[in-house]
Amino acid sequence: MIELNELKDAAQKAFPADQLSPDRDESWKLIAEMGWLMLPVPEELGGLGLGRDAATALHFELGRVLSSAPLITAMFSVQVLCAADKLANKAEWVERACSGEFITLNMLSNDVTLNDDGTLSGPLYAVPDADMASHVIVFVPGLSVLVPLDTDGVTVTERPLWDESRRLFEVTLEKCPVDRDLVIAEGDRSQEIGLGFKAESLLALAADSLGGATATLEMTVEYLKTRKQFNRPLAMFQSLKHRCADLKTQITAAEALLWSRAADMDASLADMGALKALAADVYQFVTEEAIQLHGGIGLTDEHQCHLFMKRAMLNLSLGGSGDELKERTGRQALAAFAAK
Amino acid sequence: MTEGTELAELRQEVRGWLDANAPTGWRDSNDDHEAFAQSQREWFAKLVEGGYAIPHWPAEWPGGGRNLAEQKVIYEELARADTPRLLLSFVSTYHAASTFFECGSQAQKDRYLPKILEGETWCQGFSEPNAGSDLAALKTKAERKGDVYVINGQKVWSTMAQYADKCLLLVRTSSDGPKQAGITYLLMDMKAKGVSVRPINQIQGDQEFCEIFLDDVEVPVEERVGEEGQGWAVAQATLASERGLTLMELSYRMRGALWRIAELIRKNGLEEDAGVLRDFGHLVARTDSACAIADQFLRNRIDGIERVGDASIVKNTYSRVLREYSLLGTRLGGMEEQYRAPITFGDLNTGNWMADFMNSYAWTIAGGSEEVQRNIISERMLEMQREPKNWVVS
Ligand SMILES: Cc1cc2nc3c(=O)[nH]c(=O)nc-3n(C[C@H](O)[C@H](O)[C@H](O)COP(=O)(O)OP(=O)(O)OC[C@H]3O[C@@H](n4cnc5c(N)ncnc54)[C@H](O)[C@@H]3O)c2cc1C
Repeated sequence: MIELNELKDAAQKAFPADQLSPDRDESWKLIAEMGWLMLPVPEELGGLGLGRDAATALHFELGRVLSSAPLITAMFSVQVLCAADKLANKAEWVERACSGEFITLNMLSNDVTLNDDGTLSGPLYAVPDADMASHVIVFVPGLSVLVPLDTDGVTVTERPLWDESRRLFEVTLEKCPVDRDLVIAEGDRSQEIGLGFKAESLLALAADSLGGATATLEMTVEYLKTRKQFNRPLAMFQSLKHRCADLKTQITAAEALLWSRAADMDASLADMGALKALAADVYQFVTEEAIQLHGGIGLTDEHQCHLFMKRAMLNLSLGGSGDELKERTGRQALAAFAAK
Repeated sequence: MTEGTELAELRQEVRGWLDANAPTGWRDSNDDHEAFAQSQREWFAKLVEGGYAIPHWPAEWPGGGRNLAEQKVIYEELARADTPRLLLSFVSTYHAASTFFECGSQAQKDRYLPKILEGETWCQGFSEPNAGSDLAALKTKAERKGDVYVINGQKVWSTMAQYADKCLLLVRTSSDGPKQAGITYLLMDMKAKGVSVRPINQIQGDQEFCEIFLDDVEVPVEERVGEEGQGWAVAQATLASERGLTLMELSYRMRGALWRIAELIRKNGLEEDAGVLRDFGHLVARTDSACAIADQFLRNRIDGIERVGDASIVKNTYSRVLREYSLLGTRLGGMEEQYRAPITFGDLNTGNWMADFMNSYAWTIAGGSEEVQRNIISERMLEMQREPKNWVVS
């Protein structure tokens, strides 16, 4: 059993804090070599069968360095494959995915429909790193299926982001045939799988956000301790101290919720959504403050502030907006506290 | 979260006990101070009898020795059953008890701890008119005369002092050296000659705290905790209990009271108002994170890995969420909340939203203000440079 701390140490060694946004393709190779994709895979499928806190620890660490490798997506898709009950050669698929064949899926909703002739048509939004993926997993009501990206009728268009450490694509299907061997699940089961791992991807985005927020605050505090104005370190000004203390408090409280939700196997989709919304809000605020606290240098392309800020802004929207997620939590709580 | 069978059984047990024993109607009678104090005493005695008053005490005490998960269950159930929070015995079971457990002599432990369970109540006499955040500047003077200290001075903001039997008192025994070094910790009888207490009227109509005037009050030397001049260190044990342990109970109480917001949403027909649902959803997540950080804090403390500043983070989280909670209630309640309604003494989540809002300041000011906690977090945890000491103010 790998200890969480060992995993964190390994991640910090592989992705040192002083190298932000390391090269995507090299990172991806490293991730596959380290066997990280096998963490959530059950032992009977050749994986390590580790709990969600292990994956959460990795996403947190990779968030700290603004990793550009699509680990969040990959873990999502690996788990979908593991849960498949219709897929031919499932074990082989899982092995392929674990050893570095990237299979992507959309992080926002899609408008794909199942045509009467059994083919699929429509766009999938916010598909990470489709350029390096062999397949995309498509969910339509009652069906989930792997679609090879080199099939006729698939177009892949990159939509450049402000956050250059992430790459998102729009994948459009035009009468793409469904290969029966590539069907993952059908009926309610398909829906269940999609929602189950959707919850995990929200947890992952929360971890990514809080890892990034932690790094941003550390960087900012360091800067304030060394930069001098008025013959003293900026850190000595109480107005700045108090802002840093508040950021630290917000990050720490959100992180406590992160670990408690990671361990809570009964957390609902709404609970994970609430966590992601909270974590993304904290990340956004920390990065907003970081630029202000750095002064002019924080607005320069060469400084790192903006890299975190852009990731934070992206994380606000990925996996669903805060508005949507908070409303869902409110609805769930309203139902939980039924009228007396 | 699904609970293990043991916890589920405890929950059933507490629920069953509360069905039979939880006081009802206490909210209506509680705008009368005497009735409030009486109902607090009765409820505390009942809880002691039931074994739920001091789950955080060590196991040798009846009702003590509960682990964190068990404490949580108990607090959640107490909150869910809408029982009164134990304000009158708060300082006794937390501040006084922790001080005795950590720093008291055997004789003090033997004398005072059993008495707390019999209902003896304590107040905290630390703050003074000119020693608030700068507590170490306190001036109440104690002069040693033979076997007694003779005390003169004034304390302020002392919660529930009007009902207290005893007082945790910080006094100055020396003006030499650093101000912390001249402080001594005494246990004072509130009925001693020369002690007078004057309750202070608060903005929400309560009289939670008092001034205490001390005029040649004699305190026997054996009522000193720790050595003369070591009072500052002992006071830290008292304050640490306030910042850490109590917040677990209060966070779970707040969580247990979220139904009040749900009820308000329904009462005002806002069930389909997306903006309101979002605010409620956000508050739920914030409340959950306050519970999670209080949990984590206590786990770290038990594992011996608490860091300086951790308690400050817990306190600043809880106190802010409490403000957000009461503010959301006040907002959702609308005009109705602006009509003065009877208050409920001693509770922070009463559903009288304006009163709850005003009362929420207790936690951003008392026990080291929010700003003072920010100083601790930034200077001691983030290690941001301190300002030079001893500013001269012209
Ligand atoms: C409900 C309640 C119950 C209480 N119960 C008790 C009790 O039982 N026993 C007891 O002894 N005391 C009690 N207190 C007193 C409490 O500990 C003090 O009120 C508190 O320490 C603040 O002191 P002060 O009121 O003198 O405010 P001040 O210290 O005068 O502070 C005024 C403002 O200045 C800010 N400030 C002060 N110093 C700094 C600084 N260094 N940096 C930045 N900002 C600063 C404060 O945060 C605050 O906003 C209670 C207070 C309340 C509100």
